[in-house]
Amino acid sequence: MIPGRLLKRNEFYVFATIAVFVAVIEFQSGQFFTNNNIADIARSMIVPGMLAMGLMMEIIAGGIDVSFPSIAMLSMYSSILIMRSMNYTGSAVFGFAVSAGIGLCLGIINGILVHWLKLPAFIITLGTGSICRGFTQAVLRSRNISILPPPVAALGKKYLFTVTNAESGLSSSLPVVFIFLIAVVIGTAFILRYTILGRGIYALGGDSVAAARAGFNILGTELFVYGFMGALSGFVGLTRTVLTGSCQPASFIGYEMTIIAAVVLGGTRISGGTGTVTGTLLGTLLLTMVSNSLILLGIPTYWSKFTVGVMIVIGTGMSAWQALKGKTKLTSVVAERDVNTGEGAGRCGNGS
Amino acid sequence: MKIRGYRVFFLFLIVLACMTAAACAAEAAEKVYKIATVVKESSDPWFIRMEEGVRRFAADTGHEAYQKGPGSTDSAQQIQVLEELAAQDIDALCVVPIDPSACEPVLKKAMDKGIVVITHEATSQQNMDFNIEAFDNVGYGAYMMDELAKAMGESGRFVTMVSYLTNASHMEWAASAISRAQEKYPNIELIAEERVETQDNLEVAYERAKELLKKYPDLKGFLGTSSNDAPGAGKAIGELGLIGRSFSVGTSVTSVAAPYLDDGSTTAVTCWDPAEAGYAMNVLAVMVLDGRRDEIKSGLNLGVTGFENINADGKLINGQGWIVITKDNMAEYDF
Repeated sequence: MIPGRLLKRNEFYVFATIAVFVAVIEFQSGQFFTNNNIADIARSMIVPGMLAMGLMMEIIAGGIDVSFPSIAMLSMYSSILIMRSMNYTGSAVFGFAVSAGIGLCLGIINGILVHWLKLPAFIITLGTGSICRGFTQAVLRSRNISILPPPVAALGKKYLFTVTNAESGLSSSLPVVFIFLIAVVIGTAFILRYTILGRGIYALGGDSVAAARAGFNILGTELFVYGFMGALSGFVGLTRTVLTGSCQPASFIGYEMTIIAAVVLGGTRISGGTGTVTGTLLGTLLLTMVSNSLILLGIPTYWSKFTVGVMIVIGTGMSAWQALKGKTKLTSVVAERDVNTGEGAGRCGNGS
Repeated sequence: MKIRGYRVFFLFLIVLACMTAAACAAEAAEKVYKIATVVKESSDPWFIRMEEGVRRFAADTGHEAYQKGPGSTDSAQQIQVLEELAAQDIDALCVVPIDPSACEPVLKKAMDKGIVVITHEATSQQNMDFNIEAFDNVGYGAYMMDELAKAMGESGRFVTMVSYLTNASHMEWAASAISRAQEKYPNIELIAEERVETQDNLEVAYERAKELLKKYPDLKGFLGTSSNDAPGAGKAIGELGLIGRSFSVGTSVTSVAAPYLDDGSTTAVTCWDPAEAGYAMNVLAVMVLDGRRDEIKSGLNLGVTGFENINADGKLINGQGWIVITKDNMAEYDF
């Protein structure tokens, strides 16, 4: 890639921020590039990484979602309840299917409401999210469950590999559910890059009227992105339970803001039409690293919130600044850009 | 556009109808004291146990006592719950505030309206009639430290964990544990981090514990104050293969800590019975409402386990209600 072109990409700046941050942690603690620390960060990426993929798709399609933590909470809690009531001992696949299935239904409801009422997705999902959370608390009387169904508990004790830091003797294991993250990332990248559906998602976020005229199925695309996020939320909910080793319904609350920040940090334009898998992964990585390295960095507890906030402002500020630069450039070199078709999802917001 | 407006209006009508029906259903009750207990989070097993106490109080006395709480441990949401209740026709509010200082305005408003305010886990609260604790925070923090020191063999480095730095009781326990360590255990040393925030979330406590162990590989003790701290640190200790080398002790309950107590990654957890605390708050509220405020002083028996001989210092009341849960007795305290 030509360096000049690289400099125009938002990913480059997120990557640069990560590099600087890593250098500071390594300098401060000498603990960043240890095998157990890398495994820990990979583990911490599992839950936010998967959610960020689904949310990114929704934001690219011109939507937004603040209901997914509540959907995750409801799906995970009810799937655990169902398995417990059946005294289920079969495969954990069943649990994931139930949880993702419940999530899928809830996500599709979001999609239908967004399409039908044509109200801002933010308001719709704020409402549906509140309903899901309220239902879990009031009807299901949600509480922490520390004794999990055997297949779920067993999955939590399966690891891809264990690394041991020769110096400190600390070991860290990468849970087998890390594979889910890889699968979701590859799946999302494939859909966005190689399918008509993916083109439709970008087109819808760029300009829905133009997308409809171009023959994209708007209802289908909207149902897909919200349904996908719903199913993913259910799936991730149970993954979180597997990782924590206990079902903590309340642990998802407030999570939507972290994920939205990660997606936007990764260069996904909140107004839709623009975003990449790489950028989103980098954005998630940056946020995960920040929240998991404050102690290593030696930041006093009293300053941790401040530091996380500053990192978000710097990161999003950078991508906003990039977008702004892209815009001013667009007006001056519009003719040149027409010739230079490259990058399907251009930063000028006209979609693919 | 017209169609859209019609649809929204229709939805609105349905919602309105539901709310009216609910309101009518709630109307038909006789005139007794209405006492609302507001907790930090309604789905937390701790507060579900507290609700058992509140319900038992309602059944024993016939007063209209009930419990409410926000969906998450979020101070803004809790204040909203308090605002709504204060605007209603209630006689007393029993509150377990998330952030006592943030609750001051709404509690003041409630007291100005004549509502009796009893708090729990909030010794710093200004706008209240009485604050009741199961025990005094200084004694309890020292007690947790003694338990941790026992596990650590009275030597090594330790850290404390709190849910939020704004949580008054958690901060007081941690402070008292730290001063106990300094006074009584010369070979136990506190690391520079002193207090780590865990957001009352097991996953966060686990991640923080792992990060601390990276920075301090010889870290020997974790003293937790929120119910997820000691189990979260225990999960890290268990996974890292440090059972017997690192120890976690702290406030928690069986429903959260059972697996960790069972495999030895958490040595012991301490707590009080939230059901008794909830009951005691309501008893106090009724005493104040009955105009028996003067009777509330040291030595009074509230008729609640752990509060048979209270210690009152002005508006601050303590009982002696702490309990220790270990692998051996955890079946007796199944909440």
